[in-house]
Amino acid sequence: MGFGQFLTEPEFKFIIVTHRDIFQNTAQESSRFSEQYAELSSVIRLDKDDMKKIGVKAGDSVIVKNASGRVVLKAESSILEQPHPGTAFMINGPWANALVAADTGGTGVPAFKNIEAVLSRSKEEKVTSLDELV
Amino acid sequence: MSNLMGIYQLLPKTNCKKCGKATCMAFAVDLLARKISIEDCPPLKEEKYLSGYEKLKELITPADNVTETGFLVHEDKCIGCGNCVVACPVNVVGDPEGTGSGRAPSNDKVILYIRDGIVRPVNIHECRRFGHNKTLCYACIDTCPTKAIEFV
Amino acid sequence: MDKGPFVCTGCALLCDDIAVELQDNRVTRVDTACRKGVSRMKGCVSPMPCTVDGKTVDENVAIREAARILKEARHPLVFGHGNSTLEAQQKAIELARKLGAHIDDTSSFCQGPLVEAILNNKIPTCTLDEVRHMADVIIFWGADPSHSHPRHLSMYSYFPRGKQRQRGWEEDRTAIIIDVRKSDTAVICGDKLYEIPVGADPDFMNALLNALSNKVPKTPFNMDPKRILELANILKKAEFGVVFAGLGMVYSLDSLDPLFSLMDKLNETSKFHLIPMVGQYNMRGFDHTLFRETGHINRVYFRGEEIEHGPQQSVIELISNDIIDAAMIIGSDPLASLPGPIAKKLAKIPLITIDPCENLTSRRSKVTIPSALSGVECDGTAIRMDGVEVVLKQIIETNKLTDEKIIARIMEEI
Repeated sequence: MGFGQFLTEPEFKFIIVTHRDIFQNTAQESSRFSEQYAELSSVIRLDKDDMKKIGVKAGDSVIVKNASGRVVLKAESSILEQPHPGTAFMINGPWANALVAADTGGTGVPAFKNIEAVLSRSKEEKVTSLDELV
Repeated sequence: MSNLMGIYQLLPKTNCKKCGKATCMAFAVDLLARKISIEDCPPLKEEKYLSGYEKLKELITPADNVTETGFLVHEDKCIGCGNCVVACPVNVVGDPEGTGSGRAPSNDKVILYIRDGIVRPVNIHECRRFGHNKTLCYACIDTCPTKAIEFV
Repeated sequence: MDKGPFVCTGCALLCDDIAVELQDNRVTRVDTACRKGVSRMKGCVSPMPCTVDGKTVDENVAIREAARILKEARHPLVFGHGNSTLEAQQKAIELARKLGAHIDDTSSFCQGPLVEAILNNKIPTCTLDEVRHMADVIIFWGADPSHSHPRHLSMYSYFPRGKQRQRGWEEDRTAIIIDVRKSDTAVICGDKLYEIPVGADPDFMNALLNALSNKVPKTPFNMDPKRILELANILKKAEFGVVFAGLGMVYSLDSLDPLFSLMDKLNETSKFHLIPMVGQYNMRGFDHTLFRETGHINRVYFRGEEIEHGPQQSVIELISNDIIDAAMIIGSDPLASLPGPIAKKLAKIPLITIDPCENLTSRRSKVTIPSALSGVECDGTAIRMDGVEVVLKQIIETNKLTDEKIIARIMEEI
């Protein structure tokens, strides 16, 4: 590896949009603590070209953070036809919520579907578990 | 999933008529509907078309677990939304007050229904893709949001 | 036992044509419900125990402890409600009034603004049955019903034959979708997907308004004006139009004014209605009930004889500003659904959870009281996403108390 390993991983800015997923919802109805619920909720889907740019492959861990929180997620490539550079998608749940700001500008409505965060590669870290979140 | 243009591209595209069809496109249409088999195209086994033949063999081979019409549900993808059940023309005609109107089946004339959150075929010989007057109906495929239905 | 059909409480569509098969007092087979609904009706694998401080206790002990916590708190919050019957919601409001508590529900950070606008007659609405029988132009805006309300299109909005829509969806109906991505629902809508950038909903509303007024529709994101004019033409010709507004739309609007303008304009030339895509099965019911009692749909503080209402009374701001010092959560999992920093704060105050199943919040609660799953283990009434009241039936027997009964018992102790 040499010199590179001492450098911090470069960070990339993203907007994260959350959405629902019936398979995650079904798992949740069965148990909030099911493996499937955790697996589906902790995935971040990225534009294919963005993945190349960052240097992550499907299944790699990535660190996603902002002033509200920090989570380790599993990166997967987008299932959308259209490219969406700079935008990433997550199924709504505690992992995405960890990145949602408490500050609502006094409206009482957080920005659940428009989350600004930075993403970087993770060398060894495991995906954040539900227990670590709350 | 196999589609018409995908199949056509793998054929010789010479319109030689050796299969009895006027064009390779007509052959592709019938092949997609499983009215004929790839073996009905003699030039396909010639060396220059062999890669197309191999690919078509994979594409067209009937899978196990499918009904006589080739109706196959990918249970891991099906969300039980019932779009196919309500859109199916056989259901609409046989059960206009029930499935045809968006509700649970009200008689036993339906050929698709939802059980435990997944679509199930029944009396599939009533499907429009079956029998003498079969037609290439796409109602259940086109209305599926998760591409869970396939005819193989 | 009732033979059905039963009502599914998996979402606010409240599908009322469900058949079940039972074995040993458990639902073992479900017909006609979607995947998610089946999972709801068959019940969870981690039912909630009855506990105080993590130790299993009998109901009476848990109820007494819950009453004590609420009584001793200076600013208790009563929150959740979306998964309770109208009867339980009524009791929860009564309890909050008696305690002088803060009360709020999930609509506070969800579909609240639209439900409020509808109850104040600011937006024309209609029922799902009217949609089935009459709607010819259907707009899904910031919504993906295939995942949130799976039977929406098949039961009401697109595929069923209706009295005035006899020829089926290809000829009789046009489904349009406006979203930031090509969702699974968008796949069905084909070329009627209008893909817009995140947060650009007001811009698109404005462009559409211009197109409907025969002006060139410009968008900051350079969507082809021809496409927007095409859309405007479809909308103008609609006999019975309906907008299904999802959270994608709601979260993008700082103010509902652009939506009001658009709905007004649409109703100059055709008839257009709006139905909010309410998630939890009876969230709208809570909003109706509180509205009837206080004139507000959510975010209420019973301060003595006074009623205070506003964003500062929202669950988010109350927690964020360290106002509340105890909370009772009914049929909701705020530690999972609130922003992380807010959830962490909530976890630090004494919590009481009433729910059929264990969840993140219950595991951090001082008191947990298991309740009957509505529509399966108990009956009651609820309000569908379109405002129609639906009667829920009981399917199986249970020893568990209903939410309503638990709240009533807590009130007796207070």
